[in-house]
Formats: sequence, C-alpha cells, structure tokens
Amino acid sequence: MSGWERVRSSRSRIAGSRTISRTSFGSESRSSLQTVRLGRVQPQAPCYRTIYCNDREANLPVKFKGNSISTTKYNIFTFLPKGLFEQFRRVANLYFLMISVLSTTPISPVHPITNVVPLSLVLFVSLVKEAFEDWKRLHNDRVINHSPIDVLQDQRWETIPWKKLQVGDIVRVKQDGFFPADLLFLASTNPDGVCYIETANLDGETNLKIRKALERTWDYLTADKASEFKGEVQCEQPNNSLYTFTGNLMVEKQTLPLTPNQLLLRGCSLRNTEYIVGAVIFTGHETKVMMNAMNVPSKRSTLERKLDKLILALFGALFCMCLIGAIGSGLFINRKYYYLGLGESVEDQFNPSNRFVVAILTMFTLITLYSTIIPISLYVSIEMIKFIQSTQFINKDLHMYHIETDTPALARTSNLNEELGQVEYIFSDKTGTLTRNLMEFFKCSIGGEVYGAGITEIERGGAQRNGTKVEVQKTVSEEHEKGFNFDDARLMRGAWRNERNPDSCKEFFRCLAICHTVLPEGDESPEKITYQAASPDEAALVIAAKNFGFFFYRRTPTMIMVRESHVEKMGNIQDVSYEILNVLEFNSVRKRQSVICRYPDGRLVLYCKGADSVIYERLANENNQIKNLTREHLEQFGAAGLRTLCLAYRHLSNDLYESWNEKFIQAKSSLRDREKKLDEVAELIEKELILIGCTAIEDKLQDGVPSCIETLSKAGIKIWVLTGDKMETAINIAYACSLINNDMKQFIISSETDAIREVEDKNDPVETARFIKETVKQELGKCLEEAQQYLHAVSGPKMALIIDGKCLMFALDPTLRGSLLNLSLNCSSVVCCRVSPLQKAQVTSMVRKGANKITLGIGDGANDVSMIQAAHVGIGISGLEGMQAVMASDFAIAQFRYLTDLLLVHGRWSYLRICKVVTYFFYKNLTFTLTQFWFTFHTGFSGQRFYDDWFQSLYNVIFTALPVIMVGLFDKDVSASLSKKYPELYKEGIRNSFFKWRIVGVWAFFAVYQSLVFYHFVTTSSCNGHNSSGKIFGLWDVSTMTFTCIVVTVNLRLLMACNSITRWHYMSIGGSILAWFIFIFIYSGIMTPYDRHENVFFVIYVLMSTFYFFLTLLLVPVVALLGDFLYQGVQRWFFPYDYQIIQEMHRDDPEDTSREVLLEVGSHLTADEERSYAISQLPRETSKHTGFAFDSPGYESFFASQQGVYAPQKPWDVARRASMRSQSRTPRTN
Amino acid sequence: MFCFFFLSSLFSYFESQTRGRKSQRRTSHLLNFRTKFILGIRFHISALLSSSPSPFPVLGGSFFPFLFLLLNCSMNSNNASSSAGGGSADSSPPRRNSKRPKYSRFTQQELPACKPILTPKWVISAFLLVSIIFIPIGVASLLASRDVVEIVDRYETECIPADSRGDKVKFIQGTASKTCKRTLTVPKHMKQPIYVYYQLDNFYQNHRRYVKSRSDEQLHDPKSANDTSSCKPEDTSSESPIVPCGLIAWSLFNDTYSFSRNNQQLTVNKKGISWKSDREGKFGSDVYPKNFQNGTLRGGASLNESIPLSEQEDLIVWMRTAALPTFRKLYGKIEVDLQVNDVIQVTLENNYNTYSFGGKKKLVLSTTSWLGGKNDFLGIAYLTVGGLCFFLAIAFTVTYLVKPRRLGDPSYLSWNRTPAGH
Repeated sequence: MSGWERVRSSRSRIAGSRTISRTSFGSESRSSLQTVRLGRVQPQAPCYRTIYCNDREANLPVKFKGNSISTTKYNIFTFLPKGLFEQFRRVANLYFLMISVLSTTPISPVHPITNVVPLSLVLFVSLVKEAFEDWKRLHNDRVINHSPIDVLQDQRWETIPWKKLQVGDIVRVKQDGFFPADLLFLASTNPDGVCYIETANLDGETNLKIRKALERTWDYLTADKASEFKGEVQCEQPNNSLYTFTGNLMVEKQTLPLTPNQLLLRGCSLRNTEYIVGAVIFTGHETKVMMNAMNVPSKRSTLERKLDKLILALFGALFCMCLIGAIGSGLFINRKYYYLGLGESVEDQFNPSNRFVVAILTMFTLITLYSTIIPISLYVSIEMIKFIQSTQFINKDLHMYHIETDTPALARTSNLNEELGQVEYIFSDKTGTLTRNLMEFFKCSIGGEVYGAGITEIERGGAQRNGTKVEVQKTVSEEHEKGFNFDDARLMRGAWRNERNPDSCKEFFRCLAICHTVLPEGDESPEKITYQAASPDEAALVIAAKNFGFFFYRRTPTMIMVRESHVEKMGNIQDVSYEILNVLEFNSVRKRQSVICRYPDGRLVLYCKGADSVIYERLANENNQIKNLTREHLEQFGAAGLRTLCLAYRHLSNDLYESWNEKFIQAKSSLRDREKKLDEVAELIEKELILIGCTAIEDKLQDGVPSCIETLSKAGIKIWVLTGDKMETAINIAYACSLINNDMKQFIISSETDAIREVEDKNDPVETARFIKETVKQELGKCLEEAQQYLHAVSGPKMALIIDGKCLMFALDPTLRGSLLNLSLNCSSVVCCRVSPLQKAQVTSMVRKGANKITLGIGDGANDVSMIQAAHVGIGISGLEGMQAVMASDFAIAQFRYLTDLLLVHGRWSYLRICKVVTYFFYKNLTFTLTQFWFTFHTGFSGQRFYDDWFQSLYNVIFTALPVIMVGLFDKDVSASLSKKYPELYKEGIRNSFFKWRIVGVWAFFAVYQSLVFYHFVTTSSCNGHNSSGKIFGLWDVSTMTFTCIVVTVNLRLLMACNSITRWHYMSIGGSILAWFIFIFIYSGIMTPYDRHENVFFVIYVLMSTFYFFLTLLLVPVVALLGDFLYQGVQRWFFPYDYQIIQEMHRDDPEDTSREVLLEVGSHLTADEERSYAISQLPRETSKHTGFAFDSPGYESFFASQQGVYAPQKPWDVARRASMRSQSRTPRTN
Repeated sequence: MFCFFFLSSLFSYFESQTRGRKSQRRTSHLLNFRTKFILGIRFHISALLSSSPSPFPVLGGSFFPFLFLLLNCSMNSNNASSSAGGGSADSSPPRRNSKRPKYSRFTQQELPACKPILTPKWVISAFLLVSIIFIPIGVASLLASRDVVEIVDRYETECIPADSRGDKVKFIQGTASKTCKRTLTVPKHMKQPIYVYYQLDNFYQNHRRYVKSRSDEQLHDPKSANDTSSCKPEDTSSESPIVPCGLIAWSLFNDTYSFSRNNQQLTVNKKGISWKSDREGKFGSDVYPKNFQNGTLRGGASLNESIPLSEQEDLIVWMRTAALPTFRKLYGKIEVDLQVNDVIQVTLENNYNTYSFGGKKKLVLSTTSWLGGKNDFLGIAYLTVGGLCFFLAIAFTVTYLVKPRRLGDPSYLSWNRTPAGH
C-alpha cells in the first residue's frame, strides 16, 4: 500500500511543482487533464471496458482489479472451518464424527478417545496435507506477486512488484521476461514493431509466435516518449478466450483497431527482442490465462465405487450386530441381578421395566462400540498409496520416458491408478496418437504429373497383403532432412526446368515458399535454419520448397525473403523479396490459407492452399483436364495413407485488390464478429483460382504401435480407432496397425454409396436423413444377423466393423443404439472414420454406459478432449502438438506404445495392490470387531468394551497401519517384464478377479473364523490359575492377551498375502508388532495421578510372568492362520491363478533388477539415442555457472574425446541445439 | 501413523546408508530464476485446477507425510548415479533441464525382494513343522494339567436346609444360621500349597453397569474419598461417601470357609492371594473403609474398618473383575500336604446370595503345576492342532504322490485351458 501512496504523492508533488514553476505549461496540462476527466464520466457501454493509458487517476473510478493473484483455497481464518468442512464431506469422516459425539454421552461404553483419536489423526494428516499444498500455493503466489517489473513513473522506469501494477500502466518487459498482465503491445526494440513470444505456459507450444504493434505506437519506446502516450483503449470485457481479442485504441482522435496481434498475454515470455513497451489492459484474475483456469471434473475409479458398496455392506453388518445385541439386552435385563443395582430409580438404559427403551439405547451403545468395523484410515491410506504410486512410480518410470521429446509420463490425477488395470476398451485417435504427427513431404502432383518415388509403409503392407512382392527400394534413408522424404530426380537441383510445364512447377514452389505462417530461426543458411511452424505440415512444405531451390530465409512483418535458384537459368541464385499484403489465416472452417503478395515487379498474386474440397469449389472454370488428373492423384495419395493439400493461385489486378482491401480493413477493425466478417471478406477474393497441383505428406506411424496393439489385444483389450480421416486412410492405418487383417470379417457401413449420393444430390435434407437412417438400420440388421451366425459357429472368423461419421450419427440414435452396441461389442476391432469430436465422445459413452465396460480414451489434440473426458480414463499424448488433450487427461504419456507399460504394468499392479489393501482392511477391522461382538454375548448384552480404549483407538492407526501401506506400494506378483511378456495376465483385472464378492466372502469367512479362535481360545484357556501361584486373571488380562494375539496374527496374515517381500515389509510388520509391545510395556507401567489406567495397570507384566502367555501366543496365531494357510495351499495347488503359474514358471529366473536391462529402454535405441546415452556418461556439471558451456558447439565432442566416446559433430546437431535453445536458455539478466 | 513417519525417515536413512555414498543435493541450485518462474506460473494454473472440491489430492502439490519418502528418493537417485559405476543408464543426458526421471530402485519398483511361492513342498513341510512343534508341547501341557489334583464341591443347594429349599432367596436373606458342613475326600496326594477357590456361575462381573461402578481414585488416595460420581447407586450413605464405593465392592463375596482334618484345624493363609501390582499400585495403604455396607440393603461382606484397603485381599481379589460370567476367585492357601483319602471337614458360612439369579457356588481345592491350575484346554488344543497338521501333511503328501502337480505347467494357464479366450 505504501508504494501506492508513494506513487501517487510523488505524482501530485511533481504536478504541483510543475504548476508553480511553469504556470503556463501547467494550465495547459491541467486542461488536457480536464478533458480526460470529462471522458471519464462518459457512460460506458456495459460490454466494453475503457482504459486510459498512463493515467492512474482516470482509471481509479472504474475500480479495476489489482494485479495480485491468489490461488489459495484458504486463508488463515477460513482454513479450519473450510478445511474441516471439506473433510467432513466424506461420509466416513462424518460417520466417525457422529460416533465421537455419541461416545461423549453416557450411553457410550467407550471413552471418547476411542473414536476421537483415530478421527483426529486422520483429519490431522489430511489437514496438514491441505495446509502444505495451500502454503505452497501461497508461496508461489507471493513469488509471482513480488516479481519485479519496470513501470513508467515520472518519465522514468521504476521497478515495482507485479502486484502493484494497475490497469492503464505503461510497462517495459525485457528479453526473456514474463508479461505481468495482459498487455497492449505498443513498441518494441525490433524494427517494424514486432516481438516474438513463447506461449509454452499457455498451450505448451514452444515455437515462437510473432506479435506486431500498431504502426502508430511504434515510437513510444523510451521513457521520455512513452510518458507522452495518452491513449484510450476500448476493448472487450475480460474473458477466457485465449485467441481472440477485439478493441480499439483511441489516440489523438484516431481510432485504431486492435487484434490479438497486439495483445501480449500474461504467462507468455518475450523472446528475441531486447525489450517491449506495453500498456496494461487486464490484470490479476481478469487476465485471460487466469480466466482459463477451470475446474476439471474429478473422476472416481470403478473400484472405488465398488468399495462404497463394500462399506455399505459393512454398515449392514454393523446394523445386524447391533440389532442382535439390542434384542439380547432387552431380554437379559432383570432385577434378579441385584448386584447390578437395578433399583426403581435406575437410568433408562438399564431399566428392566422398560425393555424396549433398553434395547433402543443399547443399539446406540453398540454402534459406538462396534464403530471399528468401518475402517476409518482406509481412505487416507489408499490416498497415500495412490499418490505415491502416481508420483513416484508412474511419473518416474524410465520405461515411459521418451528421450526424443524429453517427456516422462505424467499422472495428472492419482484417483485412477487401479482403473488402468481394468480397461477393456481403448478408444484411440489416429493422427498423432497411432501416427507420429511427424510430417514428411513425400509426393506431389504438379500440373497433372505425379512426382516422388517413395512407397509408404501402408502401400507396402497392402502389397504384402495382396501377395505382391515389393522390391524393397534403396530408400533415401541416408541423411534426408527431417520433414522431407522425397526423391525424384525430375524435380531436384533445378531439373524441373526441363519438365513439361516448368511454369506450374515454379508457381508450385513459390506457393510453398510464400503461402505459410512459418517463422525462420537461426542462421540464414539452408543447413542451419530451423522453421517454427504452427503445424508440422506447414514446416514440411517450407522445407520442401527449400529443397526444391526456393529457400525461405527471412520474414519481416511485411516481407518474405526467398532465395530462388535456377529460376532464370540453371545455377542462378537470387534473393527475391515478396511484399506480403494480407494473410488470410487458416482455420478449421475455412480449411485453407491464402497469402496476397506483391512481386518485386509489382504483380499481385494470391496464393492459396487448402483441403481439396474447398479448393475445388473455388477453382476457375478452365483446364478441366488438370483438375481431373489431380483429383485422381489425390485419391491415389489418400489410399496410400498420405495427407493431401491442394495448391492454387490467382493473379489480381490492382483495382480489384484495392477495393477488396478496404473491405478487409473494415472487417478487421470491427469490434463484433470480427472473425466471421473476416471470413466473409476472404470469401470474396478466394475465388476463380487456378489449380497448380497437390502435395502429399506422409504421416508416419509411431514407434512400436503395431506390436503394442498386438500386446494389448492379447491382453483382452479391444481397440477402437476413432478418426476424422477418410475411410480409406483409416482402414489403411488399421491394417498397418494390425487391427484389421484379411482373415477378419469386415462389416463396412458407409455413407459413400451410390444410393445415398443419389438421394443427397436431390438436396432435400429431410429426405436424405430419412433415407440414410433407413439404410443404416438395414445394414446394421444385416450385419448383426451375420455376426450372430459367426458367433454361433465353432471357430468363426474375428469380426471388424468400419463405420463412417454420417452413418454413425444415425446409428447412435436411441432406436438403433442397441443394435450398434450389440454388433460392435462382438467385433474385435472397430474403426469409426470421419467422426466429429462430439461423436467420439458419444461412442465412448455408449460403450461406457451401455455396455458398462471400463473404457480408456487416448488422443493428442483438441478434438480428442471430449472423448478423453467421456472415458473412464483419459490419456493425452504429450510431446508435439498443443496441450489441450493433456490438460483434459488423467494421464499423459509421450508415445502410444507406453500404454503397454501404463496398463499392463502400472495399471495391473495398482489394481492388484489396491484390491489387496481394501480386502485386507476389511478383514482386519472385521476380525477385530467380531471379537468384541462375541464378548457382548458374555456380558449380558450390556455393551461392555472388551479392550482398553487406547488399544481400540490405536489399532487402526498404529498397530496395523503401516504394513498395509507397504503392500500397497511394493507388492508385485510378477515382474514388469513378465507382465508384458504374458499380457493375458491383464485379463484378471478385466474380469475383476481380485475384488469380487466371492473374494470378499472368503476374507469375511476367515475373519469370522479367526475372531472365534481369538475369543474362545483365549477365554477358555484363561479361566484357571496360570502359574504356580494360583492367582487368577481378570477381564483386562484376558483382553490384553486377546489383543496381543490379534495384532500378531493380523500382521502375519498380511505377510502371507504378499507376493514379494522386501525388507520394508519385514521392517513394517516387525515394527508394528514391536510398536504394540513397546506401547503396552509403557502404557501399562505408567500410573500417574493425572492419567491412571487402572484397568490395564501392570497387565502385560502379570501376563508375561506366566507360561500361559507364551503358550497361547504360539497357539492362537498358528490356529488362526492355519485356515488361511490351508486355503491358500489348496487354492494354489488345485485352482491356481494365472499369475501364480507364471511365478512358478519363472521362479528360478534371476532378479531382473539389473540396471543394464533398464538401459534397454530400448530395443528402440537409435544411433542418436545411443550417442546421447554415451554422452550422458560424461561428467556432469555441478555448478550453474558452467551450464552455458553446453550451448557452445563442440562441448560434447570435447568431453567425448576425453572419455574415448566417439561423438561426431553432425550438422543437424547444431540445428537441433538451436531448436532446443528456446527451451533451455537462461535469462541473460540473471 | 506416527510410526509411519518414524519408519519412513528410517527408510530414507537406511537406503542412503546402504548405498554408502554421501548424498548431494544439487537440485536446489539448478533451479535458476527462469525455471522457478515457469514452475511458478505452471503451478498456479494447476493450483487453480486443483481447487475443485475433489477429496483426493491433485498432483500439483505434495503430500506432507511423504516428504520423507520423496526426499529419500531424491537422495537415492543421486547416490545411485554416483555409485553406479560403469554401464548404468540412470544418468540423464547432459541437458540441464532434462525431465528424465532419476533412476532409483524405489521408483523403478525394483527393490530386492524375496518371492515366496507356496509350493506343495512348502505346504507339506509347514504342516509337518507345526505338528513337530505342537505335539510335544501339547503332551507336556496335558501332563502338567493332569498332575494337578482338583476337588470341586458344588454346595449352593445342599447348604440350604431341606425345608427352606422352596424359597432359597428368603432363606438367604433371613437371619437363620447359615453354617453348613461339607465333607471332602482327597482323591490323590495333594502337595502344598493347596489353593482354595470359590467359583460362581451366571454372575456377570463383566456387565457394563457393574464394571464401571467403582472409583479407582478413591481406592488408592484418601484425599479422593469424595470421588464417588462413578459409583452410583452405591456412592453415598446418608450424604457421606462410601469407601470403597460402587457395586463391585458392595457385592463383595462373603461366604467363608474353614477346614479341618481329623478334627484338626487346617489354617487357611489369606495373605498373598492377590496380584502384587494390585495391592501396591491400586489400593492405598492409608485408605480405610468407611460407611461400608451401611445402607438399607446389604450386598455382601463388610470390611474391618481398621485395616487399610491394601491389606483387604479378599476385596482386592474380588475387584479384579472377571472376564466371563463363570469365574473362580482365590480364597486362600492351605500350606500343608494332604494325603490320599484324607477326609476334610469344611465348615462354611453360606451367606452370599446367588439364589436370586440362579447362580451356582462351588468350592474348589486345587494344587498347581508349572502351567497353573487344572486346565486341559491348552494341551488338548496343542495336540489337536499338531495332529491335524500331521494329518494334513500326510494327506497332501499322498495327493502329491498320487497326482503330482508339475510346477509352472503352462497348460494350467487360463488362456491355454480355453483357447477361445475371453
């Protein structure tokens, strides 16, 4: 606050001094201030905000929010109430709260501590966790709020913390600095008023984006100049749309339109620019990035929902036990037991004249007594286990770390670990998930001629399917540039000049070199340059142009520089600069992108590239031959699994352009619906195009996809491909991934039939819809019938269903959904093509809800978000494209093939472990509570507690808490490699073999058996004297004896349930038993005046002075565990689980813990990776100051030669490092 | 859970020790300004994401109890990397900001473990082992129990005159003489000390109302004489507190026994019949009975007001409440040997009212062995379990010989049994 006042007082002081010293000027400035004041009182349109730049006082009345942010959930006052409230929203906690309240009343047999201690421990742990997380948030907020920023004050740049920033302030951001708020970009040190920003924090994209200030404001760069800037900004209200912004800047009575191009968003950082000057528009929580922070709906795992049922069953058992006890107490109570003092004035609970009341009250008594049947620490333990599983095991698994993109796996939620072990259906996106999204220029068609000799994987696969042998050509694998996998001597090295239509070729290459939004980075030489592109396709096209001799090397906001070779004559190289007049950007509606450029000779040309459908609509009516030829080629490319784009151009006359440009500028400066208007304007000029040709880009399959899919399908998982691609591409990819093969019966339901096309041509939507629906219905019925036949046949073929989006739309209709589901569930693979994002989600939820199977959605792009959220488990592919899918997902992995590890290893283990933990918790609490229940029968149903209060309260939280967590962390039935070697093991999870009611029943049976053993063995054997002194045990001696037996047995039982026993198991189990003995030694020895435990005073010493104690301690656990041991032995002998057989098969295998095995993170190790591994062995830096050495070329080679590791310096090394630099560079201001 | 904290720190300590390397924490100074910043901003996005009311933790933050573990892991990994020697894969590429996870056996879930497999051999040998250990113990404890000579005499009906047996309660509450003579014959030589017990049936000393009806404060501290709130309804007598108060003390057993052999009195030693810890810890040597059995209704025995509670051993024994409704309590010791066929005359005062609730009363004379009194249960249980295990071992062995199960037979795998699969 003080800084604030300082700012203002200094302002007024200077203003004051100004008025005194320079009266004439002062009055002037005051009058100008006056006008601004007048402006201030103008009524604001409700949906605009008006900002007076560089004038805090003028902005004051509007009360914009400050720039400090707070992401904390609590503050110091709300922490306890709010935190407790959150905790008590859990039923278990609420239940224990009620029990605790109940146990403070006289009807309770137990001291309140019995329930309060475990509850408060659980609450304490949870609250500490909450507080810690919140504290971290607070700390982060504070760091952010206090980071310095230069703001303009009194014609000087002053450094203030971010949080003091206000709307309208003029700030200066230096290179590599972060923008403190949403800024209006005014000026930059770069010529032409551009700056480069990195938006990695917003969308994860690391390529640089270009922003350009309005020309009018370019000058306000220095403090002196900037202080003269008095603009007024009218813009939209704060909203969460990251990519839109509309507003106007009023400066000196000029109105200038503002676009997202002038907006610098908070969270982005400045690159390649010394500094920029901007005006604050949105602050704090009103910035777009903060408005984007939304709540993701949390998912709960299926197992957890089943757990709720188990808890409900426990409540049922509790109720029955209480009811039995209550009835018993009503019957038992009688005045004849005179020693109970049941006189006339006895309280209600023991009043024999009102047995009904006795029963009711005893009911409550017993509820408090048996409350331990509900495992209070279960949820908190599971939470801990899952948290460690996800943060330590999944996130840090080296098998799921992708070296090329430097991406480890990421569990974004810890709720769903065990759900991964039960997945039955995988819904996968194609592009970027199954395929690499690494685009390589592969073929092209220019002027009706196909160029490019390569054969795609898919074609090869197809040929092999047809039986034709394809001679494996010597492909251009040696040293072809990333993104360019093309070899055709007819085009390379200027040979195109000799082709049939060299002009088309020239236009083709120019179009590739000019019509894009790619940004060159690095040295301006063909070898070293790297391109930053929004999509890999674009980069591939520009790289292709470079290889054809049209090297795009520099971009200024108005110019594109291209180094053209061989244009005039062979071998001639010249730099040509094209003035870029307009860029009509790509979006998913337009499906095309155009650039209007002016040749150095003044010619105006519009270059356009886009999807075939949109380009063909806009072609001029001439040269049909090329059109038809190209169409053929397009189909050919599509069949080969290639992605195609059509290229076209149009010559423009000056007049036509000028008149159009006016409309364009108008549209550009409109505040409402700007995008729509821009689209409309673009439509006016993108017509009568001349087709040049088309490009074909190969979309490579990801590493290891086919084998991963094979493994997964062996594991009983069905994989559906949902893609927006054409049917042919989708089928081809499915073949390539071995999802479909020729032995399968394929059902194809397509809307691309002649009959449907005929109806569609009539242009009657209603009729079309009716017809398609009818067709789909018939098709479905037919397929279903056929499928049934195959199903009943003994060894029918596997089936596959292929359906396209239009048919799917009708098939998803409620009337047809049933048969679609029926059919698709019988198919081993399903491919849906041409589907919209919404349909992806619909298909997913159809299987999820309709078939009640556990589904997994995996995808990489924004179009997969709905599918990812609809599935039980959503997985995002992290790495190349944007972050939307990852932000919506529950787990993020870098490669599709990591699904094997994620599901078969982590998922399966988590499932196994959580099942074990849950059933064990159930067992141990049931056993303990049942001994108490049996005792009730011998106490006249009075509800007398059998155990000391502290025994009961610490049973769950100390004596049996830790070992089960160890099991939840460390237990594994077979090793990771075996899990992958025998994917069939996964089926046990799909069948939910380990958390069936039958399993729970077995545990319950043994809980009853053991509790009977505990209670009856100990009590029966303790009724006489126990050593030669003939003295007799009392109640507390017996109960301590029983409790000792229980603690020992229950812990040993866990050991029996373990598949692998680490030393942490031994330590935790031994530790728990030891903890009990230490506790009882101390506890029963202490008798202070304040805390007298008369009941258990000295019991353990009394007990241990007898042989009886040791004999019983040997007998009872052995007898109790005998049943389980027998069961386990018989089960393993006669009805072994699969994993048990695998264990036996590999029982003599050496431990696969050697780290060399780990190194084989690959069979996938490429030469590149091997090199980087070798280099990884080199000495590492220990201080941050030497870090820069890495950026100097040759560092690696130097150390490598020291170590004798050969590391050649390759040209692309430098290129790669250059592309990496934007990620790993440190600020120079540091 | 505390023990968890403790162990996890132990965990980290040991893991680092066993690696035998000093850990270096480099991470902190690697965090230069920029990464901090990115973390910061990323974090506050994720923090907002996590502000959902979901009960489960979002991974943006850490979980306090596991700081130990986390710390441990980072230590581990560093150790591992430095101690790995040649051929380890854990070192990350020499890029400063590499996100490559560090190798540690913990995170890669490769902790050394023993993997017990319950093979038939193990099953059989476990059963055999149990039977080998249990049968001798069983025999020994059964013999010990059999050595004990025990005379039990149930007297609650016989000690009521035949004419009063129609309404026993009236008789016991009346004033008529309740002296009763019983004759016991010693079946075997009984070595001293011979313990005298009384045994009551159907007496719920473990009833909730009964158990809590005492004031432990009052019993050991004379200053807490007024501390009788838990003793209702036997807390005060005409406005002054009862010492010892409560139902337990009030219902103190008051039958008395005296023994004679050949008209020669056998002394019953009543010293040392209670646990020492009770005498010394719970009952004060300066607390004297007060107002005891003063009320309108007499429950049981009265106490000599001149003897401190710590020496009232009958009371101390009685107040160590029994676990079950059938219980024995030590009455005294006879410190002479009894010969076979000795006839013992018991003169007993049958004062205690068990007739209201139909409880039995028994007088028990018993010697002890090293295991205590006569109790065949332990011996029988040990023998039974040992025998059962032996039988099971035999049964499994026979099964194994007749129809051996080959270990790790792939044909047992479910997908091999049903080729169609699931």
